[in-house]
Amino acid sequence: MKKGLGIWLVLLLLIPTLILAQEEKPKEFVVYRDKNSRQNHYIPSGWMGDYGDIKLNDQFMDNPQSGSTCLQFTYTAQRAQGQGWAGVYWQNPANNWGTKKGGFDLTGMNKLTFWARGAKGGEKIQKFFVGGIKGTYPDSVNVEIGPIELTDVWKQYTINLAEKDLSYVSGGFGWVTTADLNPEGCTFYLDEIKFEFDPKMKPEAKKPEAMPFYVYSDRGSINNHYIPSGWMGDYGDIKYDGASKEDPYLGDSCIKITYTGNATQGAGWAGIYWQNPANNWGTVDAGFDLSKATKLTFWARGAKGKERIEEFKVGGIMGEYSDSDSASIGPVILNKEWTKYEIDLRGKDMSYIIGGFCWATNIAVNPDLPVVFYLDEIKYE
Amino acid sequence: MRLNTNKSLLQGTKTERGQNRKNLLFWCLAIFISLSFLILLLSGAGPKSKPKVYIQKLKNGHYSLMVEGKPYIVKGVCYNPIPIGQGYDYDWWQDPYKPWLVDGKLMQEMGVNTVRIYQPSDNPEAVKRVIRDLYELYGIRTILGHWLGLWEYPCPFYADKDFQERIKKEVLQMVNYYKDEPGLLLWILGNENNYSCLGQVRPWSSDEIDKESDPHTQRFMRLKIYYSFVNELAKEIKRIDQYHPVALGNGELVGLEVASQFCPDIDLIACIIYRGKSFGNLFNSLKTIFDKPILLSEFGADSYDAYLKKEEQNMQAFFLESQWRQIWQNIAGQKTGTGNCIGGTIFEWSDEWWKHNEFDSKGWSIHDTESGWSNSSYYFDIKAKDNRNMNEEWFGIVALSQDEKEAGAGLDKRILRKAYYVIREFWRNPYKNLKIKNKKAK
Repeated sequence: MKKGLGIWLVLLLLIPTLILAQEEKPKEFVVYRDKNSRQNHYIPSGWMGDYGDIKLNDQFMDNPQSGSTCLQFTYTAQRAQGQGWAGVYWQNPANNWGTKKGGFDLTGMNKLTFWARGAKGGEKIQKFFVGGIKGTYPDSVNVEIGPIELTDVWKQYTINLAEKDLSYVSGGFGWVTTADLNPEGCTFYLDEIKFEFDPKMKPEAKKPEAMPFYVYSDRGSINNHYIPSGWMGDYGDIKYDGASKEDPYLGDSCIKITYTGNATQGAGWAGIYWQNPANNWGTVDAGFDLSKATKLTFWARGAKGKERIEEFKVGGIMGEYSDSDSASIGPVILNKEWTKYEIDLRGKDMSYIIGGFCWATNIAVNPDLPVVFYLDEIKYE
Repeated sequence: MRLNTNKSLLQGTKTERGQNRKNLLFWCLAIFISLSFLILLLSGAGPKSKPKVYIQKLKNGHYSLMVEGKPYIVKGVCYNPIPIGQGYDYDWWQDPYKPWLVDGKLMQEMGVNTVRIYQPSDNPEAVKRVIRDLYELYGIRTILGHWLGLWEYPCPFYADKDFQERIKKEVLQMVNYYKDEPGLLLWILGNENNYSCLGQVRPWSSDEIDKESDPHTQRFMRLKIYYSFVNELAKEIKRIDQYHPVALGNGELVGLEVASQFCPDIDLIACIIYRGKSFGNLFNSLKTIFDKPILLSEFGADSYDAYLKKEEQNMQAFFLESQWRQIWQNIAGQKTGTGNCIGGTIFEWSDEWWKHNEFDSKGWSIHDTESGWSNSSYYFDIKAKDNRNMNEEWFGIVALSQDEKEAGAGLDKRILRKAYYVIREFWRNPYKNLKIKNKKAK
């Protein structure tokens, strides 16, 4: 009897403790709160692209969003390493590009929030992201938002991570921007970056994008989508200038592409895919829902005229996550004058498009090398 | 008296009564036979009223392949049983070990009901024997195709009338030889010959095409010539054989917008598709471009992981199971699909060891592991060197043993791969398997 009473008393004491322990399950996981905060995780060590263009003050004290400090980033857009873009990864441990075991198991969180503001307003950040580090120990998640145009007052942004696999995250947070988006450089501030659990958070369903939907409008346009990252074939033969001032069709810039035809990689052909996110060959669940599009239009011209492009294409990336369809035109002989081209998308399933635009050509059909041609106003309508 | 007379007239003598009965029986029989014939004629079930194999378009726009009055879903394999150590020109039809007898039994056990053969040999009696054995012993029907001269040196001159006439003669000879075989299912004209019109394989041209400066117009001209030729063949075939549908073999959907204008007399499209786990929008696209039924006449996956450099049967089974699920979702009568698919023939039944380098006879005895081409849809091993992940000699759902022979025969022993069993299970209850998969997806 006494023994039974003892067990009963132990249970009475244990049950509330267990309930409390469950309730105390952490609801947030901080990346940056304040300089020297013991709650901080991850190190802003992964400086990328033109890293010489970036300056960081991690204890900026003028007008933080909360606490006593915030992060101040200055991006000069000087192209110190000749890349035209730059960014920073928060890593664990520092400088871990997937080469060593690290990271955190953030299972249970379902969003990352952060506060940001620009020094003047109008600063453009290509993307903010969580995960995406590859290598021997790759992140289990890769989600991004952007491009984002900052305001001169603090604003909170959210990266939806609902139902994402957060079991291994060594790249906790990051941002990337480009010189094209910020030709004069920019200064911006970040504060209170943290993973959270929000019971109201639902998985992000892809919504059909509104038309027109630009692949390329102008060099600094926030309306641009997709990144010309998928260089194919003899990629060493390609020069890409996304801010050419040489007689743009509309606006202040156009795309200039030079294909030397030297067969640097021995392929005899070359091309570029515009992808979402960059370098996505169907390995990342991303892309846009372009179901509302009935055509893709673009303007093109050759430097001399008679340049032959074998194919202009949308969609068609195949991988674990494949484009839902593809459509193309070609071969096309370019004129010296700007000419409008159209890819008919009627009857196509454009609900999932990673490869927003593509061109490809080869040496055999272009005896007059190098091939120089221009593109402008690439958009879905 | 009159009554008596009448009675006597009605009843007659015993002999007369017997004669009357015979007359009555004769007339009843005659009326019965006439009525039966009339009913058969009106019902359309007569032997010559409808082709034995035909395509039926349903009220909802779906398509069904009908065989002897019943819907027939092609559960097939591409069949070219070249033994280890032999090359592409080996005449397996006359193989003394008769591989089709061993294979046919294994196919029957798996649930295969059709084999696709790219082109018969020059020996019609040997071909007929194979078709008959497969059909009579195992109930397996045969699809016969013709390359339409795609591999002729230096290229197929589709714009040349003499070339066309020669190919036509070959095709019609094939039809005449085999059209009366009960085991024959349908004809396929060409394979990926449309790519020759784009200059991607076996490019050809003509003086008229060469005069045209716009490459886009050149492409159109070649496609028009090629598809018009196929259409002419289809019409000629139908003149001598109304019992079997004629398919246009085509690589992907490339060029079919031109075929829809110049090749209306074909009955279906036989598509060659290698898109990994998903056919994507294939079925809908075809419906929009050229509203004909589709047979997936070549699709599948290899079983060699070019990245890990080892055989990987799970990978092959995964892709094939996913592909068959989509085929089934697009068969006539399914609620969510397009309803224009009549089935498929997996590439392929057994490995072919000669394929990596067809001109190196020493290599025919080696199971090459060097990849021949790249396809990112097969993403498990896409990280292989130069992204070359497709192993042409490893597409069989049946492997061949170099060390063992089939019992009582000199054939290379057949080793069933995982895909064999996975597809067998899927076919046994496809609708149940679809439901389970859909539930899991939800």
